Amino acid sequence: MTSGNETIAKPKRFDLTSGIWVEVARYFFSFIGVLLLGALLIYAQGEDPLKAAKLIVAGAFGNRVAIGNSFRWATPCLLTGAAAIVAFKSGVNNLGIEGQMYLGAFIAAVIGYFYKLPAGVHMIVCLVAAGFSGVIWMIIPAVMRLFFRINEYITTMMMNFIATLFCDFFVIWVIIPSLGITTTTAATPNIMKGARLPSLIKGTSASWGFLLGIFCCVFVYILYRYTIQGYELKQVGENLKFALVGGVNVKKTFLSIFVLSGFLGGLAGGVEVTGGYYRYVSGFSYTMGWEGIMIANICKQNPIALIFVSIIWGALKTGAMNMERGTALNRLTVNLLQMIFVILVSIDFEGIFKFFDDRINKKKELDKIIRQTGAQNAN
Amino acid sequence: MQNEEQHYLEMRNIVKSFGPLIANNNITLKVEKATVHALIGENGAGKSTLMNILSGIYKPDYGEIIIDGKKMHFRNSFDAAKNGIGMVFQEFMLFDDLTVIENIVYAYEKTRYGMFIDKKKNREKVEQICRDYHFNIPLDAKVSEIPVSLLQQVEIVKVLYKGAEIIILDEPTSVLTPQGVQGLFKAIRFLIKNGKTIILITHKLKEVFAIADEITVLRDGKVTGNVKPSEITENELANMMVGREVLLEADKDPVEPGEVILEVKNLTVKDKEGVVRVKNVNFDVHAGEIVGIAGVAGSGQQFLVEALFGLSDAEKGSQILFNGKDITNGTPRDARLMGIGYIPQDRLNAGGNPQGTIWENAIMGYHVAHGFKSKVFLDHKEIDEFSDRVVAQFNVKTQGLNEKLKSLSGGNIQKLIVGRESIQDNKLLIIEDPTRGIDVGAIEFVWEKLLAITREGKGILLVSHELNEVMQLSDRIYVIYNGVLIEAGNYHEKTEQEIGLLMLGGGEDDVWK
Repeated sequence: MTSGNETIAKPKRFDLTSGIWVEVARYFFSFIGVLLLGALLIYAQGEDPLKAAKLIVAGAFGNRVAIGNSFRWATPCLLTGAAAIVAFKSGVNNLGIEGQMYLGAFIAAVIGYFYKLPAGVHMIVCLVAAGFSGVIWMIIPAVMRLFFRINEYITTMMMNFIATLFCDFFVIWVIIPSLGITTTTAATPNIMKGARLPSLIKGTSASWGFLLGIFCCVFVYILYRYTIQGYELKQVGENLKFALVGGVNVKKTFLSIFVLSGFLGGLAGGVEVTGGYYRYVSGFSYTMGWEGIMIANICKQNPIALIFVSIIWGALKTGAMNMERGTALNRLTVNLLQMIFVILVSIDFEGIFKFFDDRINKKKELDKIIRQTGAQNAN
Repeated sequence: MQNEEQHYLEMRNIVKSFGPLIANNNITLKVEKATVHALIGENGAGKSTLMNILSGIYKPDYGEIIIDGKKMHFRNSFDAAKNGIGMVFQEFMLFDDLTVIENIVYAYEKTRYGMFIDKKKNREKVEQICRDYHFNIPLDAKVSEIPVSLLQQVEIVKVLYKGAEIIILDEPTSVLTPQGVQGLFKAIRFLIKNGKTIILITHKLKEVFAIADEITVLRDGKVTGNVKPSEITENELANMMVGREVLLEADKDPVEPGEVILEVKNLTVKDKEGVVRVKNVNFDVHAGEIVGIAGVAGSGQQFLVEALFGLSDAEKGSQILFNGKDITNGTPRDARLMGIGYIPQDRLNAGGNPQGTIWENAIMGYHVAHGFKSKVFLDHKEIDEFSDRVVAQFNVKTQGLNEKLKSLSGGNIQKLIVGRESIQDNKLLIIEDPTRGIDVGAIEFVWEKLLAITREGKGILLVSHELNEVMQLSDRIYVIYNGVLIEAGNYHEKTEQEIGLLMLGGGEDDVWK
């Protein structure tokens, strides 16, 4: 046992295994790595990497329209990222953001088209309803987790399929036939003007949804940083037993994580409809829900960092389209590089370093024991 | 010395460490063929590690294993099984939904043409084993349908089927009724007669004297004795297992106990499998006194404490009264709100959050029971004031309140937790192993603080695996053995040997039967 030989760890002069420098180095080297790989990839396709990079930057920030488009595509990242952060920070694996988004979008589209409400109020009702449909979608896995001990990993993921198929079914077999129209896209009609989010930058696709997204990130930041509820949420996530023993109402806290994460996921869908597409289109999200999970991981679950990462993500998306127009390159090249960046950032350098460090220490320790016991045996 | 003599099984100079913990520190174990060799020691003494090395699950850092004169290097547990080592784990490793025979042959099926399971051949061999060793088990019953004592026999047949010559039984009696134990012993004797070798891991003295031919005692990862049962008394053996030099003496004054704060009546607790872990326990704690419960790890103290603090449920008929109010089957939150503090044994999993900061760890519980002025926002002025008080009064060596808990040493983490619980205005403190794994200086400090707490009129229930700690601090002492609480006198009324014997199920109190 360890009794009797307890020592306070000596601080090393250059401690590379912890602290801010590891993080800085991690992002720096990942960025360099992606640049190199990207250059190689573009060069291999017979294009000039520098030209491609210029086109991406110009496409993302070159003019008012470009900036607006970047913000528009940053918006879903902000909301789905916030939903993921809330869940992961508190130890809940919400893989169902995609589904919550679909349901939120569907509900917002239905309320936006079928019900006439005063302008502005209509928009708010759409958004709140979208959020709550996300909550309902998240309550099911929550109940299964709390009362039947079924891991939400599986349930939230499966609920995605149910949500997307359910919404498509409803649109194709109920809504479109009821309107008596023929159409080639599985989509609802456009929502009313009064249900739409105001434009943020005139003449671009950026809406107030961008500000709403930033507000949500800041809200999550304040919740975790400055409130008692946030303190409890964090403790439950990091060490459930500790919180339980400390007298935190773990069930209630756990449930509120599900509710908040689901609400943000549903809201993301609502914003896509009220501020982006103005209607529910089958397959509108591609993989926005999953991207939220990815960028939450990149920004190490820090909501303020999320704002910047989301803007970069949006910028890359619009920039990539511009690059595609100006070169023979496919925008998937940029997607590919984004994914490589995610992987590089996620590598657990600390763990790898520690693994080798431990092995060296263990050898030394062993030598010591053998020397000591050898001396005893000689006596 | 009997160095020249060749034993059937020899494990020589085994060393195994896990990080900073040295689980096996130069252990040498020699076992004769066709004997029962008892390996005894407290939990954490290194028994299971040693046996996991023998059965190929762990690789030793140093040392060698010799069987029948041949040096062995097991690559994995399959390799060990092939070489005649069979281990019966404390927790059964059986598939509930398969039949008994399917479980027995699993992964070692006889096959036809190398790919089809030869059911007939399997059955013949299993039936042969059952006949040879007088096991009477329903081969075609589902595992979930047969009783625990039979499951153990299934496990034994399983290792025999794999061709085991050396059978390791890891605390086999912990799940058995007295009748089941008798049945097991009969089976063991029969196996010995047929030339098998048994290594029996246990910490129950009665069993050792009933069945073992030779005994090796481990303590803190080292061998402290190698004896034959006929050459030793229960007392001496108990001493080898738990006896330690008394390094410290607490400065304790006699106390005048106040009114009753905690009253426990007929407390019975079952674990998830339905095994009774705490049997009909009755005791009380008065204001201003320390009531100590000593016991070998795994005797039920964990379940007792969890039931008291609302972490697990008590059976019907149990009653826990705190200041006269019934708190049976409450929640930890209820307990906190009423003024019960709890220092859990597992300081990194239950007592603290290693990823959290010092202040986050310091205010846990306090923020529930006492609360801050603002119910919504974290008031860092108040938080820092309280955290600083804990750090200062309990001498926690830290670089600041924002330091991560995991960068503190074990002793300092413990001081922080003890400080957090005792500075709060609690009336009762439930404490498990307050000084486990910390250095002598820190132990002395924590002891002093605990005695100071009682002087303020608070009551303490101290559950510890360190007998000396219980004896030094407690006004009244109980021993828990197999879930039963035994009175062990007042402060300094009984000797360490007497109490140690009770902890191991010896003495006149025959709870074992």
